[in-house]
Amino acid sequence: MKRALLLLLFWATFAAGQEVALSPVPTDALGDWAQAMVPLRLRATPTQEVKFEGPTLLLAQWGELGLGTARYALLLGVTGDGEAHLWIDADRDRRIVPAERLTSSRGAGYLEWQTTLRTGAGGDYPLGVVWPEGRGYVYLLGGAPRWGELSVEGKRVPFILVDGDLDGTYGSKGDFYAADVDGDGIIHGDPDGHERFSLAEPFTVGERSFRVSGVDPAGAAVKLAPTGYVPPKPPLIPGSPAPDLQFATFPDGRSVSLADLRGKVVLLDFWATWCGPCMEELPKLLELYAAHRDQGFEIVGVSLDTSERDLRAVITDRRIQWPVAFTGKTWDNPLAQVYRVYQIPTTYLLDRNGIIRYRDLRGAELAERVAELLRVPSAPSAKAPEPISLPAGPPRPILELAVPPEVGLPPGGKGTVPVRLVNTSPYEAEEVRVALTGLPAGAKTSGVELPTLPPFGERELEILVELPPTATGIQRARVALVYHYCIGDSCFQIQDEAPLALALGEGKPAAGIPTWWILVALGAGLVVVALLRGRALLGMAVLLLALAGGALAVGLLRGQGVQAWRIASSLCTSCVGIEEVRAEAPTFTPAQRAALQALPGPVHLVVFTTSWCKSCPYAKALVAEAARLSPTITYEVVDAESDRARAEGAGVVRSGKVVVPALLVVPTGRVLFGTTDLAARLLAALGEGR
Amino acid sequence: MKLRALRRGTQGLGVLLGIFGITGIGMTHLLFPGLHCYACPLSITVCPIGLLQNLVISGTLPFYFLGAVALYGLALGRGWCGWFCPFGTVNDLLAFRKVRFVRTLSPVKLLVLGGTVLAAWRLADTWFCKLCPAASLTASLPYLGLGVAQVNAPFLLHMATLGAVLLGMALVSRFWCRYLCPMGGLLSLFNRVSAFGLKLGEGCTACGTCAKACPMGIVPHREINAPDCIKCGECVPSCPTRALSVGFSLPGVRGRDPVRPARARPGAHGVPPRQ
Repeated sequence: MKRALLLLLFWATFAAGQEVALSPVPTDALGDWAQAMVPLRLRATPTQEVKFEGPTLLLAQWGELGLGTARYALLLGVTGDGEAHLWIDADRDRRIVPAERLTSSRGAGYLEWQTTLRTGAGGDYPLGVVWPEGRGYVYLLGGAPRWGELSVEGKRVPFILVDGDLDGTYGSKGDFYAADVDGDGIIHGDPDGHERFSLAEPFTVGERSFRVSGVDPAGAAVKLAPTGYVPPKPPLIPGSPAPDLQFATFPDGRSVSLADLRGKVVLLDFWATWCGPCMEELPKLLELYAAHRDQGFEIVGVSLDTSERDLRAVITDRRIQWPVAFTGKTWDNPLAQVYRVYQIPTTYLLDRNGIIRYRDLRGAELAERVAELLRVPSAPSAKAPEPISLPAGPPRPILELAVPPEVGLPPGGKGTVPVRLVNTSPYEAEEVRVALTGLPAGAKTSGVELPTLPPFGERELEILVELPPTATGIQRARVALVYHYCIGDSCFQIQDEAPLALALGEGKPAAGIPTWWILVALGAGLVVVALLRGRALLGMAVLLLALAGGALAVGLLRGQGVQAWRIASSLCTSCVGIEEVRAEAPTFTPAQRAALQALPGPVHLVVFTTSWCKSCPYAKALVAEAARLSPTITYEVVDAESDRARAEGAGVVRSGKVVVPALLVVPTGRVLFGTTDLAARLLAALGEGR
Repeated sequence: MKLRALRRGTQGLGVLLGIFGITGIGMTHLLFPGLHCYACPLSITVCPIGLLQNLVISGTLPFYFLGAVALYGLALGRGWCGWFCPFGTVNDLLAFRKVRFVRTLSPVKLLVLGGTVLAAWRLADTWFCKLCPAASLTASLPYLGLGVAQVNAPFLLHMATLGAVLLGMALVSRFWCRYLCPMGGLLSLFNRVSAFGLKLGEGCTACGTCAKACPMGIVPHREINAPDCIKCGECVPSCPTRALSVGFSLPGVRGRDPVRPARARPGAHGVPPRQ
């Protein structure tokens, strides 16, 4: 009934255009492009109260899936026999019973489960869960593609809608659609495919263009409205002509276009100096260029660098002689946008006629194909080009940038802006730069740069800012974030920003009656006592007694008694001089790395910290690095002050004091305190009982 | 001897409070009225100097700390050092030589206190704790046994300061309390206005015997309840005329303060009366 009403409402709202009814279609029938992959972080405790009625688990990690309004608890557990299993509370009764265990299939280094859940709207939603063994996260795999056909000038055009963000609701941000606009019977739905569109993009079939004007949240139908003619996206598949590019070369400013290079075999290379795999390939390209340049081989490099200095240094040092385009932009680079570049390195090999022949070739295979194309003087190769498979998913931001909406600066305009970065992905963010932009002229600020931010890591940074003396009131500015990350050989650079208001001259408002004078009077009283001669000492003693009582009362009312207790009931090993403060980035020796990578079986580590402990960040970073190096290690960080029961249970408490930093190796129960030789001690502890 | 036995009893209570965690009671909100590391595995009280540094680092106005220390000071002054503080007791146990030794260095402990606060403020670190011999004795060594601490540079630094201070104690009685203890320095500010103190009654002949008995190397009959006086009462039984007494009395009454002596000084300074 509810669904019928929803459809009715949907129909009433968008009655003007063409409606396409959609029905579920298996992903296998479409291809990898119709499958989205989203990481889901697992935690030691469930977010909602869930009772587990299955066997005793050695290791339990919880997650929560949201499909529309329906929320499902997910439990990844390792049973006594060492096998990992997945349970999903499919009936949402907050009880996980043995029957809710899913059947797994095993791949190389991962386990996979398939299930079908109900969305909040009541529809079936097929979902895959992939667990890279030993990790603290899973990947959700799916997208529940829905298939329909629209009719354009008598032709039937297949239309696919994919729930790209896997939230169980169609039409939300991250979802996309694809349509066989060229009528070749294949839907080219890869992220840079010419038949894939975001929900905001229009598409064109023949002479007519459409936009998506409405999506049923349950995916039962989409509404298409006609729109003004939009040229179709040029195909980038082998066999199609390469779209032209025109640019001035960097740094000498010569004018170059792809059309001018007809008659030559051209390698069109989208790259950047910050992209590791691109730089690895560079020596081979230099070699190839030197060998075949005279036979009519040319390379066109489109740089996605933002730093002119870095690019200039690489061009000079490596003696790059082919034309390089530089616009100072990354994904919004107009040249890269023509080719819908979403990851680098991306390369296209064009034949002498300017036709795309191959994509993303590297090393020996590239040399072979270049030689092959050079042998054919002009006519296009008769050999059918190979199909290309690409990983699904456009570049998406992996860092969450949290900035307070307003920051108060003291009179004079000098202060700091707190910025919090959270890596929400299992990938390492590299060269993370945060800076303030949009400040008034004359303002001074210093950006912050982090070499890396580990998977699921968090950092709190402070950006210094000094506004000019002329600035008053509220100043608008932005916090700009630039970083890149790599998945395998594909690297993505991301830019993000957040608005910020700097409120000048507004210090903290005075709260309540000022009490600082009690301390001043106490000190003054002691000076008077030192100077007094004889008689008045009794009076002074009474006065001091009153002041001392007052100070104690104020302190207790302000919770300083509890503060004292908190400080004293945790033992921060570096604070009392049991060991040195360590704040450097932790490292493992090559031998230790090898040992970590060779670790068998899953190991879960728990890092116990407090917010004020000086060596705790080191311990956290060391464990994160170990987990990065060894896929069998998972870890979590526990605030020992707020979760004292957990610390006590883990044996991190010594004689009533929580000792931080401390590291619990779950399988053996071994606890490591402090940071001295922690890498070596951790390895020894991991090796125990194996 | 009765007085000393009583004092040994209260010193025993001080040690007992220091290790009261042995009963299973965890950390309390109570400030220790002396120098005793809160990191000690058996400690149930907060070390005032350790707390002070943490409050300075966190930028807190230390109402609770100063209020509690002032109340302690107004009650016993440095009497805590002589009658209660476990580290003072360690000093006592090693006090073989009651020598008078460079009195001018005694304000160094106030410099230690100032330096401790300054280091916490400017370097945002608990530097005193890293050097504190009380922490060496009651935290570093026990945690080595508990497998938390290891023999490393900070541990060796702790051992070095402990060794040096113990040697000082053996050579000069109450070496730590005299020259270096920042808590002693704080409490000394309250010595003249505390409820507990020495009192010089009638009959003092200024013979100077009390000075020989004083472990802090002061001259009680001339500078009664001076900042360095720990009110231990060692001088009381030594007085041939029983002019000295120790106990609770109102600050400022006759005989409690050097500027209001009990009576005019005798003519023959330093000559003991005929027995």
